[in-house]
Amino acid sequence: MIVYLLTLVLFSLGIYCVVRKRNVIKIIIGVIILEYAVNLFFILTAYRMDGRAPIFAPGEDIVNMVDPLPHALVLTAIVIGLATTALLVGIALRIYEKYGTFDITKIKELKG
Amino acid sequence: MSREHDKGMSLIVKTITRITVGLILLYGIYIVIHGHLSPGGGFAGGVIIALSFIHLILAYGKEEAFKKLSRAGAKVFESVGALMFLGIALLGFTGGYFFLNFLHKGQPFKLFSAGIIPLCNIAICFKVGAGIFAIFVALILVKLDLEEKK
Repeated sequence: MIVYLLTLVLFSLGIYCVVRKRNVIKIIIGVIILEYAVNLFFILTAYRMDGRAPIFAPGEDIVNMVDPLPHALVLTAIVIGLATTALLVGIALRIYEKYGTFDITKIKELKG
Repeated sequence: MSREHDKGMSLIVKTITRITVGLILLYGIYIVIHGHLSPGGGFAGGVIIALSFIHLILAYGKEEAFKKLSRAGAKVFESVGALMFLGIALLGFTGGYFFLNFLHKGQPFKLFSAGIIPLCNIAICFKVGAGIFAIFVALILVKLDLEEKK
């Protein structure tokens, strides 16, 4: 049970980083921490006591495997996380190109 | 420092890169080819292959890396990967349905087995490798534009 609470702590750190920080790069790092906390939670729910990796190898029975479904889900989530991170970094670079700063409090030219 | 080392990083980094970059590329190809037998597969191998080209850019500067794989080449490889994956999936209609494994399955745990799955891995490797290389190049080109403006 304690490991789930620790992932909750990691998730809260990510939320704090997204809400409180003012630098765009730090906000992107917070989003990445959020993604990893959720991925870690999924992997922990898949674990079983004394389980081994769900890989079918020659000479081994299909017993004592951990649950492979969250693993497949997290693999897809990692790929999508890579794409969203690249998109966020691209937008942050465009913001820097236009305003010359990463500080979100100094981007004030948003007029109609 | 002599004139030939103006671009890129120092002589030590360039020498180590020249030795290791081929090994990194070969390891990526190994991960892709054995994707249906062991952990890894198209995505992981494609990322490792892209990292070998990114390694070249970091050490030698972008001109040397673009000689090996240009931006147009990355675009072509990415499109080829996507079309190859779609083509393999559509070829399943020759036997009945989408993504039908129409090739001979072979012996389990041998290199040439599992029908279309190694071909799908190779297609995903092209797509992911060229895609990550293109993302990296796009990000560093924005940085270069910023430096030119200043």
